[in-house]
Amino acid sequence: MGILSKTIGLLALQIVAILTFSAGFFPQKSFLKGDAQFLHLPEEQQDVQPRFEKLVLVVIDALRADYLFQDEMSQFSFVHGLLNDGHAWGYTAYSNPPTVTLPRLKGITTGSTPNFLDAILNVAGEDSSSSLEEQDSLLRQFRIKQKTINFFGDETWLKLFPRHFFDVVDGTNSFFVSDFEEVDYNVTRHLPRQLASQESWDVMILHYLGLDHIGHKGGAFSTFMRPKHREMDAVIEQIYNSVDDNTLICVMGDHGMNDMGNHGGSSAGETSSAMAFISKKLAGFSKPVAQRTEHIPIKAKSEDYKYLTKVNQIDFVPTVATLFNLPIPKNNIGVLIPDFLRLFSSHEAHIKVMDNFEQISSVAGQPCKELGSTDAHIAMMRDIQARLAKTATKYDYKLLGIGFTLLAFATFGVSKVCLESLQISVSFLILIVVCFLLSLSTFGSSFVEEEHQLWWWASVGFALISLAKAPRQTGSIFLASVGLRFIRGWNNSGQKYIYEHTTSELLKTHSEWQWILNVFTILGSSLVLRQQPTSSILADFPLSALCLVYKASWSVANGENVPLWLQKVVSNIVPGVANDLNPTEVLKSQLVPMARIFFSWAIAQVFIELMAHKREWPRRRTLIERIHPIITLILIFQTPSTNIPQFLVFQIIAPQIESLWHQLSDSNVTALMTVGLILQHLTFFQFGGTNSIATVSLTNAYNGVSENYSIHAVGFLMCLSNFAPSIYWSTTCLKMLLQRQPRVVPKKWQFFAISRLPALFFYCIFGCFLLGSCFILRYHLFIWSVFSPKLCYYVSWNLFMNVVIGWTLEAVIIAMS
Amino acid sequence: MPVKTRRLPKKSVSFSDEETLTTRSRQMGDKKRNASHDGPPIYVKPTIKTVPLHLLALLYYYIKLSQDFDARTLLYMLIPLQLIYVALQFNANTIYGNKISKLRWSLLPISFAAALVLTVPCMLIIILLGAPISMLLKETWLLAAHCCILTLPAVYSIFKCNFKVGIFKKYFIAVAIGCWISCVVIPLDWDRDWQNWPTPLVVGAYLGAFVGYSIGPYV
Repeated sequence: MGILSKTIGLLALQIVAILTFSAGFFPQKSFLKGDAQFLHLPEEQQDVQPRFEKLVLVVIDALRADYLFQDEMSQFSFVHGLLNDGHAWGYTAYSNPPTVTLPRLKGITTGSTPNFLDAILNVAGEDSSSSLEEQDSLLRQFRIKQKTINFFGDETWLKLFPRHFFDVVDGTNSFFVSDFEEVDYNVTRHLPRQLASQESWDVMILHYLGLDHIGHKGGAFSTFMRPKHREMDAVIEQIYNSVDDNTLICVMGDHGMNDMGNHGGSSAGETSSAMAFISKKLAGFSKPVAQRTEHIPIKAKSEDYKYLTKVNQIDFVPTVATLFNLPIPKNNIGVLIPDFLRLFSSHEAHIKVMDNFEQISSVAGQPCKELGSTDAHIAMMRDIQARLAKTATKYDYKLLGIGFTLLAFATFGVSKVCLESLQISVSFLILIVVCFLLSLSTFGSSFVEEEHQLWWWASVGFALISLAKAPRQTGSIFLASVGLRFIRGWNNSGQKYIYEHTTSELLKTHSEWQWILNVFTILGSSLVLRQQPTSSILADFPLSALCLVYKASWSVANGENVPLWLQKVVSNIVPGVANDLNPTEVLKSQLVPMARIFFSWAIAQVFIELMAHKREWPRRRTLIERIHPIITLILIFQTPSTNIPQFLVFQIIAPQIESLWHQLSDSNVTALMTVGLILQHLTFFQFGGTNSIATVSLTNAYNGVSENYSIHAVGFLMCLSNFAPSIYWSTTCLKMLLQRQPRVVPKKWQFFAISRLPALFFYCIFGCFLLGSCFILRYHLFIWSVFSPKLCYYVSWNLFMNVVIGWTLEAVIIAMS
Repeated sequence: MPVKTRRLPKKSVSFSDEETLTTRSRQMGDKKRNASHDGPPIYVKPTIKTVPLHLLALLYYYIKLSQDFDARTLLYMLIPLQLIYVALQFNANTIYGNKISKLRWSLLPISFAAALVLTVPCMLIIILLGAPISMLLKETWLLAAHCCILTLPAVYSIFKCNFKVGIFKKYFIAVAIGCWISCVVIPLDWDRDWQNWPTPLVVGAYLGAFVGYSIGPYV
């Protein structure tokens, strides 16, 4: 049995192992089917008068608690007035992590805590498994009561609920994060008509995305925040002034944000969202206790973002159900907010509390025994809620065990093969050290968050070892180190340190330089840097030019700063732009066809190179040498424009690394593959990637994809754009390998297997430790915000970088050459 | 920010023409330091007398007594102590041509000045190895100053002993490795004062120097 088949077998075993483990770690949550009924004294409850007739739910994405209540941050002056007069009751709502939109919307409609899978589905988009069609929810209860629901705003709602739940709908795509104005205007423009014809609806849901977009783009203290607050305040004022006493307005954030403007994790800023119930009717009852003493906006700044009373965000569900006299949705574990019991007579209040109590007990699967007072019931419910939220996920221990055991076997096998077929050299020892260092880091949440530091640390170590080994190569090592230092300073990564003057930020403000560098990277670098025959550079030129025009047009269409000369070039080249009245719109419409031409052209050129290679014309060029520039162009195409010059740096340091590799380690395969592994990870993080779901970038995932897209194409493009630098280094290392060992035809598969072994070894060792830490820390506070995302990233590195790029793409290249 | 200080490139660039460093250091590795063909034997006596206890005392001061990890005061205290260490301990145990090297007073200010000059390239190297560029420049310079003063005995001996860089480069490496390893604590999210730049690296440099001067003569 050859080494190739052995390694492929082990690879398959490893993949099966981690997929099994993931299936056990991220189970689909089971929920109680069917629709809720009143549980406690149903006949009496039927007759309770609903306290409100109409509901206006205003979800302002990422509305953190201090945005509504705190003096320095908040500009909601109208809401402040309402809060002080008692027309509005305000709360800080704890939103359970993962703090991304889709799981949070599930929470505020069903009252259940989300599972981690929802966070990924939030990114993955279209998927029927996240639908709430079958599951009981507030909306479903409204529908059962024959209420009409109108919806305007974030499309995620339409993903969650079937279309027939809603009467009038206008969804907004949240894809272009750089847009602050249009997403919200698209919602607000419906208001005048809707408010004029209030008899036509019972529930109106508005979901505003602009504030979240500002956060993502400019952080929590962005200068755009204040105008946006005032805009939202005006919207609330407009609604408040045109509805009657029997309408309840709920203003809430689905989650908060941290000071960087990101969310998804479990820090105080991310989990503290604002919630306010507004109605003229509320003025007739005494305010919540915390609100009586405070004057809003609150002057004091709270470190943990707790303002006024703290409730759980899912408490919204039973509270609204009670106020509208609806049965509480079946899977709810929210506890109704006691303040609102003041709206009921004491007898009714007791019934309502008991109903909530019986319902929550049935979810917990425990018998429900009557306690003394209302307060005791509420306290008991809070206990159950805390317990249920913690054990929201039921791990499938059998799958976890099988997965881990299989991976242990695979690791054992891979280590054995490694020891047999890789020479025991310094580089192999370094590989082992790197593997174990990284593996041990999986047990610390901060090391997982700051993983880029470890890779940087490793690459510095590598540079120093090379220097100790060969002081004569100082020039190359110095140049490579300077290049790496540039890469390190390009973007912020991790959660802890944020530098203002990263290269990408500088380039953003100096767009002239950015585009000079981009033009040079795309068009010029091949002329200056590569030792390619002129013929192939000429053949690549049209493709490069198209790539550049597309990147420039994309930036113009999306309102980035593009220097005037480039704008002129773009408008002259792209058909129909120059003569049109609205050039940006035309440009936008041309993007998709342009990207498609680019992709087809690139594929065609790969085929041409293949044919030329078979004919051996021009002679003595390996296949990878021929198609590597095309692959690089595709990767540049999938890279955000501020990161494109990094490819220039790559192309400068790659030859240095190659020559160092020849001279230092005598072209040892393990050495190159270890360096490759380090560079793949380092550049991934310095492109702005982290181990958090929040930084998965979708901006280039829709290149050439039209309206009715297929999820597979978008998924593939997303992987391509997020892993672009890693793919570059993976293929570049292969190129170096193949150039060193030209035409090893009889043994090429054995050679290939050996070249893939170091990476496989790393993924196996790392995987063992990661799965172990995920299992041991499964009740850790950060399990959903740090360790689970890391596990997802690990799986995608394995599936995409190792299997798709490393084993498939590279095997195809080797087979063809 | 994993950062490591290192002087090697600079050394090998400036002196490699004068002396065949690589062969020299290989010989060192083979413990053939006395079988030299180009001059008298130079080495530091393997003795307990070179242990730089003052570095431990300074570390104690830095960690326990000083306010907000005041690296500047620490530097002021380090300079005289290092000069005394050179005079009384390090030089007194350096063998140059079969006898104990005599202290040459004039070289003390010269080597001190050289160490100060070295802070600039040292700082550039620290930045190259990952320190922030646009902010915290003063702190980075302080770190560089600490590193250079810590290697003052080695700098002095290089001047004293005919620029035999190869023998003394291990002390530079020790400081550098100390810095490098100490970087590990920076990513931790404990939010302690001592995680601020460059406190862990200063501590790492001191520990590295302590280990280096203590066991340096034995390796």
